Amino acid sequence: MKRTLLTGNGAAAWGARLACIDYLPAFPITPQTEIIETISSWIDQGLMACRMVSMDSEHSMITAAGAAAATGVRTFTATSSQGLLYGMEMLYAVAGWRVPLVLVNVSRALAAPVTLEPDHNDVLAARDSGFIQIHCATCQEVVDTMLLAYRLSEDKRLRLPVIVNLDGYYLSFTREPVTLPDPQLASRFVGPPTSRADQIQASHPTSLGIAVLGGSQYSYFRYEQHLAALAALEIYDDLGRDYGRLTGRSYSALACYRCHGADMVFVMIGSFATKGKDAVDQLRAMGLAVGLVRLRLVRPWPGVALATALADKKGVAVIDQNLSMGQGGILYQEVAAALYHRPDRPRVLCSYVGGLGGRDISLEDFRGMAEETLQAAASGRTPPPRLLYTEEDLAQMRAAQQVAAPDIDPGAETP
Amino acid sequence: MSSAPQKPSSQPLGHQLAAGTSTCAGCGALQGIRLVHDILDSKVFFVNAAGCMTLLSIYPFTPFAGAWLYTSMASAAAGGQGVRDALDIMLAGKRLPPQEDMQVVVLSGDGSAGGMGLSATSGAMDRNLDFIYLCYDNEGYGNTGYQLSAATPHGARTTTSTSGNPGYKKELFDIWTAHKPAYAATICGAEPGDLRKKVETLKGIKGPRLLLALSPCPTAWHFEPADTITLGKLAVACGLWPLKEYKEGRLVHTKVPKKTGRRPQVEEYLRLQGRYRHLFAPRRNDRVISEIQNRVDRYWEKVTDEG
Amino acid sequence: MYRIRFHGRGGQGMKTASRILGTALFLEGFEVQDAPRYGAERRGAPMFAYVRAHHKPINERGIISRPALVVVSDDSLLAMAAAGVTNGLTAATLLAVCTTRPSSFYDHHDDLKGQLILFRPPASVNGHSQLSSCCAGAAAALLGIISPANLAAAVARELDALPPERIRVNQQAAATVFRRLTENGAFVREGADQVRVKRPHWLTLALDSAALAAPAIHAAATTLRMDTGLWRSQRPEIDFDTCTCCGLCNIYCPDGAISLGDNGCPAIDYQHCKGCLICLNQCPTGAISARPEAAAHETDEVEA
Repeated sequence: MKRTLLTGNGAAAWGARLACIDYLPAFPITPQTEIIETISSWIDQGLMACRMVSMDSEHSMITAAGAAAATGVRTFTATSSQGLLYGMEMLYAVAGWRVPLVLVNVSRALAAPVTLEPDHNDVLAARDSGFIQIHCATCQEVVDTMLLAYRLSEDKRLRLPVIVNLDGYYLSFTREPVTLPDPQLASRFVGPPTSRADQIQASHPTSLGIAVLGGSQYSYFRYEQHLAALAALEIYDDLGRDYGRLTGRSYSALACYRCHGADMVFVMIGSFATKGKDAVDQLRAMGLAVGLVRLRLVRPWPGVALATALADKKGVAVIDQNLSMGQGGILYQEVAAALYHRPDRPRVLCSYVGGLGGRDISLEDFRGMAEETLQAAASGRTPPPRLLYTEEDLAQMRAAQQVAAPDIDPGAETP
Repeated sequence: MSSAPQKPSSQPLGHQLAAGTSTCAGCGALQGIRLVHDILDSKVFFVNAAGCMTLLSIYPFTPFAGAWLYTSMASAAAGGQGVRDALDIMLAGKRLPPQEDMQVVVLSGDGSAGGMGLSATSGAMDRNLDFIYLCYDNEGYGNTGYQLSAATPHGARTTTSTSGNPGYKKELFDIWTAHKPAYAATICGAEPGDLRKKVETLKGIKGPRLLLALSPCPTAWHFEPADTITLGKLAVACGLWPLKEYKEGRLVHTKVPKKTGRRPQVEEYLRLQGRYRHLFAPRRNDRVISEIQNRVDRYWEKVTDEG
Repeated sequence: MYRIRFHGRGGQGMKTASRILGTALFLEGFEVQDAPRYGAERRGAPMFAYVRAHHKPINERGIISRPALVVVSDDSLLAMAAAGVTNGLTAATLLAVCTTRPSSFYDHHDDLKGQLILFRPPASVNGHSQLSSCCAGAAAALLGIISPANLAAAVARELDALPPERIRVNQQAAATVFRRLTENGAFVREGADQVRVKRPHWLTLALDSAALAAPAIHAAATTLRMDTGLWRSQRPEIDFDTCTCCGLCNIYCPDGAISLGDNGCPAIDYQHCKGCLICLNQCPTGAISARPEAAAHETDEVEA
């Protein structure tokens, strides 16, 4: 094991290298590009025995990746944001084929307006695609998750593709110390590439991705995909424990931080959760009994584990770095659904939307959310969902609008 | 027995593609695909774009004895890339015995081939992918009931060009040859001898190879299913569907129709099809008919000029 | 509520028949629902369409499982289980079949539930069959709730893309069948609104192996189990006195339904031949002829 400084993109590339991938169909997009550049240079230096091919689009890239995985090689690919959406049709198709594949998505907010900075609307748009979805909070977690993802994806019971998600900028371009697993250990853990039995070959007729007629057959295939995804919950936790025995770093669907004795708990995904941990420490020091639950798995959804972790809390604040227009935070809905039927559910469940397009979620924001949630718990009255936005944010926006639209009065009535 | 016609040379006997598919009776596309598959042999990995042939395989029924993967309308060629690369990786790593290798054939209609599939196909050519691209050209979006596609010819009525296509058929063959592929040819199932020679030729070539097959469609073009082959032959004889071959950077016409005046007029071909009925009734549209004829004549004048 | 199902082959116009009937009922003041149901099969393959009519808004949707009236445009469908003509038939169902066969032919069809009513297809005019108007006319007559005027109006509305002369021919075809079957005196009884509903046998689905639960076929040539020969209305037959065994029919058959035997001579696979008759058109010696499938069937039965 080697401890070194790596960006999130570097960690993803290392994960692919340690997993001994056979094949990488690629297409550049910020902030993912560094992953494919890194692997490309390793291939050129003879450090990786992988075939890389530059595709004409993400739609083609995901098709090629799925087709290669179906044919029988260990395949990796990576994208971001608009690229993930451009390939969206094929995410559903490849998942439906039931083939193993790992795709790294480096989260970046979606146009319009165009931005390069992160939030989770891109990856959550793939929520219902049938891909397993694992969210990372640190560069260490990125490299470890890559290895777990291949094991999970290639599990005979599942054969489901996996998205490993890391946030643009906050992880993709951020260096931090990472302990790289020993290559022999990693390749032993992941195992050899897909076994012969899974290959499509001339002597074994296979027609894949077939049409069906009628809802009953269609339902069977879709239900089975769902059941396989659900089965991944337990398999992931088992793999995470095994990995822990080998490396000292174990993984489970939830990462709970100072939840014990907490009156109020934040629920988050992704790299901003480390800011959340920092906030928990600060708020604890101020005397507020707060904790944090971070979901690593978003699909399958670890609803039971989550409800158990949140049982009997006074208040829970779900922080969504995404926005479903006209509805609100996506995770909030799912957390609410996981808790509703539980008699031990928290007294109040508050919704916060923030961190869109890379906007910071500050310590001050965390303090505000903690206090508001605790007050709501005391009063039993849940406040309406809050969009995190300060007077300072609006003042800056107004200054920009003075330039962009000097003739439009912000105070004027909406027609 | 009466005078026996020439036996077509070494014709295919077996059928690689099983009967019992749900294509329309008299499907010109299936007839062409069947011939190509028979000549290619059994070890074929078909990568299918969305189109009529999507429904060749409907669970649990498939006509294929080899491999088939349904992808999407836009990305079948990219699917071909993934399959070819995966086979090569496994062959190189001795994870796949050489006898288990397959020819990769992308199967696509004209809608995908000349429309949303172009980017993926162009990309596959850039990368010199070793594959065959078999396009069954029925000159419209046939699987959805015949709407206007980029390959719909001038004047043809579709459900979205009800007074006749004001535009012109996109030249997919020219788009391909502009990429300087290893091989490109137009074929028609009604011309089996020509088709056979071309498929035999491309078997010996590696790289991107196009087979663009005119595929008369009784359902969409509105003619009797029994006339599928008649129409294919007529399209070639009247000069509307030039049979040609691009190989080693050179274009050759493999069957030049008779000279102007001695070959059938396009009208003979048009009249057999309901999609051109509006050109003849209630009033004859001489302008469009002669424009179609003139374009054909000009095409062949140029061919003759070039030798 | 009145529940009517039309069965035919793709291309015979049963969607149009259902729409003519739907419009006629609508003109009579009924609440109406009409819809075709397509599979993946194409022209020549069995399809159906259905119509509901009621005195109040219709909440029922989807396939009609207990029709009061079934109209069949193609009598060969009766013998084809996959066509589903007889699905949900009871003794009270009227089964109207467009056929050229004598009624005696159906005497031994004891397995057909329901009251059988036969009507003849209209004579084709300039190559057009008027089959949809004829079948709609049959349904209208048997319902007994549609006036001849509204039937004619419905034909005109649904065929308004056709030249006036062809609309008139269609109206006549519909009217002829309408008169004939009205004289018959058999009328459809309105179906019950209330049906007996049982609890479904739900199960808890288990996780199957990924190889099994992928939409994949791990077998070759399974379409051979599809009897596409049932699509055929004309049967090609080879006269081996004239056949030179040139093999062109084998090359031109889109379906691969003509193989060449060890002696190099063609054999037609009638289980799969869809009856396109390309072989007949292309045979250089004219060795292939066509016979209506119904007639061929009868010969088969006699021989058997």
